[in-house]
Amino acid sequence: MRIVPGVRRVGFWWYMAAGAVLLVTFAAIGLYRGSVPLDLADVLAVLASRLLPGEYGPVDPQVETIVWSLRAPRVVVAAMVGGCLALAGAQMQGLFRNPLASPGIVGTSTGAAVGAVFALTFGLAGAFLLAAPLFAVGGALLSLLVVTRIATRDGYTPVTTLLLAGVALNALLGAVNSWLIARSWEQYEAARQIAFWMMGGVADRSWEHVAMLLPGLVIGCVVAAWFARDLDLLLEGEEVAASLGVDIERAKRAVLWSAALLTGSAVAVSGVVGFVGLVVPHLVRLLLGPVHRRLLPAAFLTGAWFVVGADLLARTLAAPKEVHLGVVTAFVGAPFFLYLLVRHESEVAVSR
Amino acid sequence: MTAAPDPAHRAPRLELVGGGVERRGRWLLRNVDLVIEPAMLTSVVGPNGAGKSTLLKLLSGAWRLTEGRALLGGFDLARLPRRQAARRVAYVPQSVRPSFEFSVREFVTLGRYPHENRLFGTRSADRGWIDRCLDDTDVLGLSERRVTTLSGGELQRVLMARCLATEAEVLLLDEPTSNLDLAHGLDLLGLARGLVDEGRSVVLVLHDLNAAARFADRVAVLDGGALVAEGPPAEVLEPDLVRRVFQVEAVPLSGAASTVFDFEPLA
Repeated sequence: MRIVPGVRRVGFWWYMAAGAVLLVTFAAIGLYRGSVPLDLADVLAVLASRLLPGEYGPVDPQVETIVWSLRAPRVVVAAMVGGCLALAGAQMQGLFRNPLASPGIVGTSTGAAVGAVFALTFGLAGAFLLAAPLFAVGGALLSLLVVTRIATRDGYTPVTTLLLAGVALNALLGAVNSWLIARSWEQYEAARQIAFWMMGGVADRSWEHVAMLLPGLVIGCVVAAWFARDLDLLLEGEEVAASLGVDIERAKRAVLWSAALLTGSAVAVSGVVGFVGLVVPHLVRLLLGPVHRRLLPAAFLTGAWFVVGADLLARTLAAPKEVHLGVVTAFVGAPFFLYLLVRHESEVAVSR
Repeated sequence: MTAAPDPAHRAPRLELVGGGVERRGRWLLRNVDLVIEPAMLTSVVGPNGAGKSTLLKLLSGAWRLTEGRALLGGFDLARLPRRQAARRVAYVPQSVRPSFEFSVREFVTLGRYPHENRLFGTRSADRGWIDRCLDDTDVLGLSERRVTTLSGGELQRVLMARCLATEAEVLLLDEPTSNLDLAHGLDLLGLARGLVDEGRSVVLVLHDLNAAARFADRVAVLDGGALVAEGPPAEVLEPDLVRRVFQVEAVPLSGAASTVFDFEPLA
């Protein structure tokens, strides 16, 4: 066999199989372990009664509540959030031809956080459960609308202008967020909720949160899949992509809006979970190469098991107290990213 | 070059009618009327900044014209769906270092985009065609290499393979020989000649006027964003024009089969 320069690649289906095993393992531990110790047989009985047809003996209602109503939605939300953020990050890194891009690079995650914080500080969230998530998704989409409006001239949206407008909007929205938080300092409950949103987490998530996240996830994934190949060509520059048949403005819009929807939906249910959308796609690209038909699904799966695993650490590291999920992902993600940076310096530094 | 799946490479006529493009308040090209006749090898020459690359981008449809029209087989290129246009006109930019780690095969397969299914990509027929394109440009042995590790000459041939992969009948190549050694440069010009003989049209940007004269059927001379001459090389490339456009003295060498120039600085 010939020696191939550069990093050896991993087979796509092997990678996906390993990811599926990790996801199932972490999810199983997530259902079994927690602040209340449970008997494994009881946990299995609950799962069997919920997921399989037929009768499976007596199920302890207390165990059922803990497993099915508290732990299961938490695990599912963690997987979905991780998948959405990693997928959106992979899309942004492809669109901007820059492995340092993150899902919220055009201001969408900060916009979503502002939307949620707005709903919380003005008491809208107390009025109805969906207020904060809806405002979060709205904030993400509105941020993208503003950024694309600023960056578009004569129907053409250069990605560099988009990037700069995104950086500026991120700074502005960060300031708005700080201001909203400062003015709610005396209201303890609102301040606590805002802190939760800023640090990110999937504690106390319910099946309602799964339902809230699902539409954005499905639409985002379908659009991302439909435009996956266009990202391969956009890596080669817009002129080459256009000459090979890509309708570049349409592809850019589709990628931006689907990523915004994925990011906004994820932030809506879990707050700003950092580093997943930056580190995961980068790692997957190193292992599998830049073809998005493989990269995007692999990033989604990797993000899913990564966040389920991180949440497992978040609630067991300092049990019975919890560490914030965003803190864990940053603590695991940042050093790993620095390692990649040093090891593959040239690749990370390159951005056309 | 072996035959493509569709053996009839009847190239469409490609033309610019009063074509001009303005970027940041500057006209890069203006009032260009140029016809790329089917099955002709056209060479575009001119000093740096004359608008040669711009001309290719306009002909490919990658850039939109500010004024005038680009017509492909009589149809307005700007109104044609991109995918449909890409099946007929292919464009190879001046070689740029790729920064993403595609394998050579993946990179060449990008050229199949206008033929692919959006979700499932290439079929086995496509893969056979990719093999043939890799073989014709002499890079089959490199197919598992990362494009980031290729030499300039290898990359140029891989770009050529990607261009062939589109099955387009009109090929627009921006300085395809600039990174090649003499042997590979001549190979590439020979390959271009062969494609033209099969019925395709090829447009080359070349700096070497002697190569342009020897290989091309037509020569288009650009200067300062305007088309100053177009026609068969023997008529167009004469010492007066070369002096005016390129600011060099062209001295015809005797004894050669066709006109070959020696170039000297202006006195």
